[in-house]
Amino acid sequence: MTARKLNLKDKYRLLTRDLEWEYSYRDYEEIFKQESFEGIKITDWSKWEDPFRLTMDAYWKYQAEKEKKLYAIFDAFAQNNGQQNVADARYVNAIKLFLTGVSPLEYQAYNGFAHVGRQFGGVGARVACQMQSLDELRHVQTQIHAMSHYNKHFDGFQDFSHMHDRVWYLSVPKSFFDDARSAGPFEFMVAIGFSFEYVLTNLLFVPFMSGAAYNGDMATVTFGFSAQSDEARHMTLGLEIIKFMLEQHEDNVPIVQRWINKWLWRGYRVLTLVAMMMDYMLPNKVMSWQESFEVYFEEAASALFKDLARYGIKMPDYAATAIAEKEHLSHQAWSIFYNYGHAAAFHTWLPTEEEMDWLSEKYPNTFDKYYRPRYEQWRRMEEAGERYYNPTLPMLCQTCQIPMGFTDMDDPTLVSYRQSEYDGDRYNFCSDGCKDIFDFEPEKYVQSWLPVHQIYQGHCGGAEMEDVLGGYYRINLGTDNLDYKGSPDEARWNDWHGLETAEEKLKKAS
Amino acid sequence: MYEVTVEPTGDVVEVEEGQTILDAALRQGVWLPFACGHGTCATCKCQLVEGDVDLGNASPFALMDMERDEGKILACCATPESDLVIEADIDVDPDFLGYPIEDFRATVVAIDDLSPTIKGVRFELDHPIQFQAGQYINLQLPGVEGARAFSIANKPSNNTVLELHVRRVPEGAGTGYIHDTLQVGDTLDVSGPYGQFFTRKSAPEDLIFIAGGSGLSSPQSMVLELLEEGDSRNITLLQGARNLGELYNRELFEQLAAQHANFSYVPALDNPLPDDEWGGFTGYVHEAAIAHFDGKFNGHKAYLCGPPPMIDAAITALMQGRLFERDIYMERFLTAADGAEGAAKSGLFKKI
Repeated sequence: MTARKLNLKDKYRLLTRDLEWEYSYRDYEEIFKQESFEGIKITDWSKWEDPFRLTMDAYWKYQAEKEKKLYAIFDAFAQNNGQQNVADARYVNAIKLFLTGVSPLEYQAYNGFAHVGRQFGGVGARVACQMQSLDELRHVQTQIHAMSHYNKHFDGFQDFSHMHDRVWYLSVPKSFFDDARSAGPFEFMVAIGFSFEYVLTNLLFVPFMSGAAYNGDMATVTFGFSAQSDEARHMTLGLEIIKFMLEQHEDNVPIVQRWINKWLWRGYRVLTLVAMMMDYMLPNKVMSWQESFEVYFEEAASALFKDLARYGIKMPDYAATAIAEKEHLSHQAWSIFYNYGHAAAFHTWLPTEEEMDWLSEKYPNTFDKYYRPRYEQWRRMEEAGERYYNPTLPMLCQTCQIPMGFTDMDDPTLVSYRQSEYDGDRYNFCSDGCKDIFDFEPEKYVQSWLPVHQIYQGHCGGAEMEDVLGGYYRINLGTDNLDYKGSPDEARWNDWHGLETAEEKLKKAS
Repeated sequence: MYEVTVEPTGDVVEVEEGQTILDAALRQGVWLPFACGHGTCATCKCQLVEGDVDLGNASPFALMDMERDEGKILACCATPESDLVIEADIDVDPDFLGYPIEDFRATVVAIDDLSPTIKGVRFELDHPIQFQAGQYINLQLPGVEGARAFSIANKPSNNTVLELHVRRVPEGAGTGYIHDTLQVGDTLDVSGPYGQFFTRKSAPEDLIFIAGGSGLSSPQSMVLELLEEGDSRNITLLQGARNLGELYNRELFEQLAAQHANFSYVPALDNPLPDDEWGGFTGYVHEAAIAHFDGKFNGHKAYLCGPPPMIDAAITALMQGRLFERDIYMERFLTAADGAEGAAKSGLFKKI
């Protein structure tokens, strides 16, 4: 008689949990040193329900097939000079932001999951983290490969990983992940596995990928779909870890609640970059930030928190602030970048009349009232040859590291400003969310590497703007930064398409 | 309308023209693994065993060519083009006996008024039925389109009869027919047994049954069977009703409680009339459960049966008392009025 074919569950069990052994000559606590110090109580790892059942042999087979498909499309994109067929060269700045701001996070995720995968006593959780770790490594590699083609034709891509570690606005996503990775293993899982990969992932990836699709960027669309096909594992792992902690012990509930409050706020603040990308950087708009926030956060999160309420978990208080900010966030963020266009590794510009009309339509309560007049003033200054660049350095929020440019939602003409004192020093915050996070663990956040402080302390290449931007950040001044108008990117684009710049047209006419 | 059979559990889902398999399954209480819901993540990948589907907008990375060739589909995008059999990555409960579904001719032998809104209907079957306590049958009613599902209230050892508890649904065609037209001596077509609501006999934990309205039917069958088999675990039945007139079969359970030391019966009325002179628990049945168990439910298996709001409140009470999804089983009594709701699901729970 032949043996019965194993079903998926048994096969997965034999190839994962069955790999565990008894620890006979070392104490459990010695082997899994980080499992208990956060206060999370685990009484029975056997209650862990495997969030997916993909065995390693099947994993390699599937991933290899995905890679084959993906790289065939990259090749076709390159051979057809796909870079010439995007909507408009301004679009490429959105993916410069992605490569410098987001792709290195995939690498951090790879490190992070590899680390926590070692720390859990439960073998099911260890294997799941290991597989996610491999996925994340694949994501960073495919993203770099996809973008490497653009690097041949546009400025600002060449030093993405160096820039990620140093450039002021990239400290926002970088410090987010540093914060998660320097936490304990369970907090990391709530931060990245649950808050980022489950709750916020659609708000990050769907806008970038549909933005790419609407703007003719087949390479980015394809790596997006390829990465999304791995997300199933990540999302189900994020949910399982939350359920597992909440069910293992009632003492875990308040700890998990605090982490959810913290990490949804931290993640939401990082997504500020996505908000401004959607509303300002895509030549062909997909939907407004407000619309995507309503679909991917408000609707999805209300269903999730309705279910989590059964465990006694509440929607974070800060969600109300995020909802109030949805009509302001992208405008305030783009204004900051327009101010500091000389210090960015991508190009900035003022929205055209047409784009401003689109923004008025999408933001009827706020755009014409607060933001259009500002852009019109900057346009008048540009036309008078006085393009406004902010010559001073901004104060940063000690927690999220974003310049303190967000306003009070009760009065959008007033900067939102919170303060705490610790050990005789004052610390500044953009919001209650960021202040509360600091107040709970001040010892951690007083160590934040704040780009502005570092510049003033002389740790960033020197005292002059050029030393910092050119020397320390490695921004090629005059090519990577400043306005799109007049940039080498623009000149190349016009050359490909036989277009003339406004200045050239003027010169010919005169 | 197509019928999709989901293996290995054998659940049958009815899918409308153009509706995805996942959408239909979730709406009909059949859980399939899923996450993104729009064809990119592949969590809902299933094997097509029989029939034809339109694969819909499945991403070529989530469903690769080699998988398409193997007959894999994504339930969140696939729409049936014929009746189907699919195999999903779901577990079969070891206590599920998988009795075959059969057709019966059932003759009405008694119709009783159990309460002002609930009739007890007793049928004699043309041949014996094998079912697990908790399961239901489908009833074909003359002039009523589509079958109507009712849980079986008698114990499985009484295998030539069917006892059903039928609450009149306002404007309901099926329950209206049973209340107004059905007569002793009438014969109807019945098929069954169906459903994944049954007693987990292999689980060692004590049992809690929470019933609301005509949702007493399944728990009645389950309790009667356990006591008949001499089960020694502690069994608690909580029965919720609006007022004393709606609280039916109370004497039956009070007698059983007197005869069996391991069986407790807790009736609860949420809106007793002054004439009821009610001395028992006043409040909703989930509140009675909290009071009875002092808010601590861990270490039990709980079985819930009744209208959706009752089930919902009971789940919350149980979970706050630290009893979780793996230990909670339920049968929601949906009516046509409930069917339309399609609130977004988070994916946190499988069956809840």
